[in-house]
Amino acid sequence: MSQILELSDAKSKGFFGRAGTVIGRRTEGRGIALLSVILVIVALTEPLVFSAYSVTLGRIALIGIVALGLTAVILMGELDLSVASTLALSGVVMASIPELWLGILAALATGLIVGLINAFFVSVVGINSFIATLGMLFALRGLAFVISDEAPVSLVNKEAGISFGEPLIGPITPRVLIFILVFIAIQIFVSKAQAGREFFAVGGNRQAARDAGIPVTRRIVTGFMISGFVAALAGIINSLERTTADPTAGSTVLLTAFAAAIIGGNYLKGGRGSIVGTLIGAAALGVLQVALTISGVQVPVQQIFIGAILLIAVTTDPNSLRSVRGSIRTLRQGRAKNSVTT
Amino acid sequence: MTTKGTNAETTMTEVGATQKSSIGVAEILAWSSRNGVFVFTALLIIAALVFVDGFASLINVTDVFHRAAPVGIVAVGMTFVVISGNYLDLSVVAQVATAGVILIAVSNTHGIFIAMVAALMAAILFALVNGIAVGVFKANAVIVTLATTFIGLGVLRYFSGGSIFFGPPDGIIKAFGMGKVGPIPYSAIVLLVMTILLSILLNRTNFGFLIRSFGVNESATRLGGSNTALIVFGAFLVTAIAAMVAGFVLAAFSNTAVSNDGVGYDFRALAAIIVGGTSVFGGRGSVFRTLLGVIFVSVLTNILVLSGISFGYQQIALGALIVFAVSLDAIGRKVAR
Repeated sequence: MSQILELSDAKSKGFFGRAGTVIGRRTEGRGIALLSVILVIVALTEPLVFSAYSVTLGRIALIGIVALGLTAVILMGELDLSVASTLALSGVVMASIPELWLGILAALATGLIVGLINAFFVSVVGINSFIATLGMLFALRGLAFVISDEAPVSLVNKEAGISFGEPLIGPITPRVLIFILVFIAIQIFVSKAQAGREFFAVGGNRQAARDAGIPVTRRIVTGFMISGFVAALAGIINSLERTTADPTAGSTVLLTAFAAAIIGGNYLKGGRGSIVGTLIGAAALGVLQVALTISGVQVPVQQIFIGAILLIAVTTDPNSLRSVRGSIRTLRQGRAKNSVTT
Repeated sequence: MTTKGTNAETTMTEVGATQKSSIGVAEILAWSSRNGVFVFTALLIIAALVFVDGFASLINVTDVFHRAAPVGIVAVGMTFVVISGNYLDLSVVAQVATAGVILIAVSNTHGIFIAMVAALMAAILFALVNGIAVGVFKANAVIVTLATTFIGLGVLRYFSGGSIFFGPPDGIIKAFGMGKVGPIPYSAIVLLVMTILLSILLNRTNFGFLIRSFGVNESATRLGGSNTALIVFGAFLVTAIAAMVAGFVLAAFSNTAVSNDGVGYDFRALAAIIVGGTSVFGGRGSVFRTLLGVIFVSVLTNILVLSGISFGYQQIALGALIVFAVSLDAIGRKVAR
């Protein structure tokens, strides 16, 4: 899964040095490190998180679903900021249609259409995906407000929503089951299907991929449609469990899902990443969030935690660290040169 | 390295595009993405004067100025980040609110001077975190500033408890917020002064030249011997100080401050910058264009509000406007190539 490995840095000293290189080299290394630190701290301070595992699993599932969709796009070096609004919009669409199954289908179609529009602007028009999906983020949020009349929409079929939250087998609620299915589907697609494997090529070097005959535009469309579809799925699950669809839903999920995907080793410029890594990242953040909530930490402080993890995740990427080492080296060389000349 | 007063929008990237003699689609698209804002703003104002009742009234004009000023001040500052090729600074949402809350809360207890110094410290801290993460660690600016938004808002909400702070009813803050010259409030004059100062900074100084050259070609700027981390930090610092001034102006206008004050400023400022014709691809743009974009976006929003169009539709309109303006820029580039 880890596509690009650094083979240097083998001159490690002792066990910790070697462990450090392994963690730094593996795509999922940072995710595993974060997960184990969080698991140990939580196990010592708030073991309730593990005994209430159905809550924890549900939290991981919500973060994980959105993060998995994002991963498909990030692998190609693109970004989809609109997932937060897609989540809200699809929930509102589903709730405003009285027939439940029709609503779910319409919501999923919404996700696919959003993905298609995003992909059109990114690959055909050629706008940077940050800006295109940022515009979509606000436009879709507006659309969700318009459809919902600026108020949460309650589900017509409340019983379906309530029965949706009941466990099927053991702790496995439908939400967790869908998450597992999405995980397996995307993992197989990315590692076994040719189209999915070409995502890495598109992200690694787009021109080379095009020269090698990979239909880059079609791959980008596929990626954005996956991320839109999966975000819509998350929106459906979210509104079914709360039995209402909130047009403002999803902004914190966006932050958390990004943090999960990036700490899982997915490189934002594309070409390197791992679905398993995203799963590990989502697990780490889900456990952290539930632990913070159970131990009564206020919501603003939780935001600080998640924001800080996102900041750490994006700055400790192997490529970021390499550029830091590079700039330190140039700084030193420059100083040495200056001291020689003066 | 002096710039000899070159205009910011004629940078190296466009020399090739303007050499064709025949007027084709490329020229029209490129021209309209560069200069369309002049035409569109004029048309919009004329249309508003003719079709929208109450647009030309004195109260409404003052209201437009009042609403445009803080957004505009953020936008002229954020133009630096956009021109330096780092897309945008989402954390202005947190910066505007932080500055406002610090100004009102601290000046109630320690006086206005200490409050302003404290707000400046907060602004520098924001710029430091953003600048180091983006400039030194080469992390994506959108993700970094998304993270700092949540960290900043989290800290602010934790310390303020989400409560609203009220300034004294007869203080200097309120006097400034209510003050006007004719129909023009002081805040709009601050916007104008900021525009002129930042325009000089961008077009006539070495720092401005480096910002523009960094936006055009990052590695060439680095190989030219400049400290690129400092350039990125400088761009974020200009944005942070502008966002601080905007927070002051906003807090002074209502004489209150709350941690939600900055919501939507990232988006409206970006809309103004892009509509003004500053390229999200970096390198090309100007502060005066952003001012025009601010006027366009403010007048458009005002028309929508006066016509009784709901908040949702306003969001859709602004989101579509951003995507449309960027598409024009991108297509113009593509065809020109």
